[in-house]
Amino acid sequence: MIFVQILVNGLVLGSLYACIAAGFSLVWGVLNVINLMHGSFIVLGAYLALGLYLSIGLAPWWSLAVAAVLFFGIGYLIQRFLINRVIAAPVLLSLTLTFGLDLIIQNAMLYFFKADYRSLKLDPALGSLAFGSVVVPVDRLIAMIFALLLTLALYIVLRKSRVGRAIVAVRVDQGAARLLGVNIPSIYAIAFGIGTAMAASAGTLLALTFPIAPVASYAFLGKAFVVCVLGGLGSVPGAVLGGLLLGLVETFGAYALGPEFAVMLSFGLLILFLVVRPQGILGRWGFE
Amino acid sequence: MTFAFRDFRSVGWSAAAAVLVAGTMFGTAPAQAQAKDVIKFGAPLPLTGALSPEALKAKQGFEIWMEMVNKAGGIKVGDRKMKVEIAFVDYQSNTPKAVQAAEGLITQEKVDFLFSPHGSGAAKAASNVSEKYKVPTVAATASSTQVFDQKPRYLFGTYTPNETLLAPLFPIAKRDLPSLKKVAIYTRNDLFPLALSQAVERTAKKNGLDIVFNEKYAITALDHSSALSQLKAAAPDWIFVFGYTNDNLMIRKQMIDQRLEAPLITMLTGPSYPEFVEAAGVAGSENITGASWWDAAVRYTSEDVFGSTEGYIKAFKDKFGIVPDYGHASYTVAAVALQLAIEKAGTTDREKVRDALASLDAKTFFGPIKFNEIGQANSYDPPIFQLRDGKTVVLYPEATKQGDLRLGVK
Repeated sequence: MIFVQILVNGLVLGSLYACIAAGFSLVWGVLNVINLMHGSFIVLGAYLALGLYLSIGLAPWWSLAVAAVLFFGIGYLIQRFLINRVIAAPVLLSLTLTFGLDLIIQNAMLYFFKADYRSLKLDPALGSLAFGSVVVPVDRLIAMIFALLLTLALYIVLRKSRVGRAIVAVRVDQGAARLLGVNIPSIYAIAFGIGTAMAASAGTLLALTFPIAPVASYAFLGKAFVVCVLGGLGSVPGAVLGGLLLGLVETFGAYALGPEFAVMLSFGLLILFLVVRPQGILGRWGFE
Repeated sequence: MTFAFRDFRSVGWSAAAAVLVAGTMFGTAPAQAQAKDVIKFGAPLPLTGALSPEALKAKQGFEIWMEMVNKAGGIKVGDRKMKVEIAFVDYQSNTPKAVQAAEGLITQEKVDFLFSPHGSGAAKAASNVSEKYKVPTVAATASSTQVFDQKPRYLFGTYTPNETLLAPLFPIAKRDLPSLKKVAIYTRNDLFPLALSQAVERTAKKNGLDIVFNEKYAITALDHSSALSQLKAAAPDWIFVFGYTNDNLMIRKQMIDQRLEAPLITMLTGPSYPEFVEAAGVAGSENITGASWWDAAVRYTSEDVFGSTEGYIKAFKDKFGIVPDYGHASYTVAAVALQLAIEKAGTTDREKVRDALASLDAKTFFGPIKFNEIGQANSYDPPIFQLRDGKTVVLYPEATKQGDLRLGVK
């Protein structure tokens, strides 16, 4: 029975990881920008959910919509006015830029929210569902469902919408896309906006599960990195698969080898993939 | 004309010389007097970096002491009073820099006495500097006996050893839960939590209990569901979780998610801080036991500048608007111990103050302070408490007890 419990734990955790990584993967894959602000956007989303819940009693899954719209705008502007200036330069420059911006966001968060740990406690608490001896926390279940819906929505947008196809086109062949009349800077800004919106939305969901603090951002960023490498860059199904794989490896690894090895295992897996299959499970070189 | 000019020039020179001499005399005279009126203390603190929240508390703990002492006219040295001054230096949460900071305080800032940097590891590292320059040093937060095992001559620690924190809870738990047998320990893979875990492991074995689960988690761990499922399957009577506020909160939340219940759950160090109850909520923290070297619920009358524990809490609240927790009080008592030793010695002579510290036996707002032969305090019982309705209820020691142990954590 404990095996089933751990499987369930792993799948639920994996879906949260998928949601954390989807936006990061999109930005990295399409713009070739490693957005080090991703973790901070997640934490900001969590603070937004906390603020909305405490002030007007809005449940985090509804704050998700607010976060998505608001942070799409923020991401769009950041890309349009800052990152676009260095986008043609080697990747190290955009990495340094996002690193610097992240320092600003981090310290602003420390200034405004303090280093204290906050947590979003729903009243009444959601509790957990029990199937025999297998227990599933309701808040994680809700977060998992919304996380999967969100990633599905991203997938559909990229597949079916005009903007989505333009994003994919830019990713596959920027020159050809430009020739066909795609406005590259605008598409970049939209893709970055979507990535930021995904991060903040994931944050609103994670607020239910994890304590909220400015320092939490690097832990989320680390997970996003691993998931992207496992699943393949720029691929939404890849992010889902990578997330689930990471969730399962961590939970079963913790069970088999002890919890102190869970983090080591995930980074061990990262190194293994980088050596054996650097494009990830679903990634193809330069194609979605 | 030439003569007059030369004359004028020589007058100018003598005037300049006179001003210089006078300046040296009158300029340094007040400075010397000032140096004799002020006792300077050095405090290397991790004001930035990972440990900055602790350092902020430490600084407030020092500041309230400094303010109260100076308001009372200063420290009584023999038949006169000397004001106090503390030089704070940031070591950026970096232990090697803490050692440099301690040395700089002695050689450049010319402090008379020193406080150790934060935690056992940094205190031990910096203690070499105190030994080298023969500067009496008080460590506010060094609880590991290893810090003192080389019998430093100038280092004194106001924390009792790690073992003393939870050992008294075992007889209470065995009395109130006769069926107590299975113990689970879940520990952050970090210096202080590991020391606590080893101390509890030894005490549990000494009390004839079985350890059915004993695992460590990585410092960066976000998810504990797998470990907690395993822990739940082991069905322990008593669960110990050792880590810091953030992990304690995360683990507590995930325990509730997994419907992990036990007659006894003890967590360190989270429940010692008001932030824990705030974030975990009243229901989430109900009946959790914890321990720390001090709690605002203890009551002592003291011979220090505060007069009593209540006096300390009031002074602190008046200045900072919050009730102090043990993070604040630990630093205040380190300063209080040094002050009482200086007053006892009746001089600021380092060697005599060192001897006064070694033979100190003083009542403070924190509890009675007396050091053993290796310089670690062994004179008070750290309070063990239980969280009820979001408040701490002291279970031990008997003298300050506020209630009996309640079983059942859901």
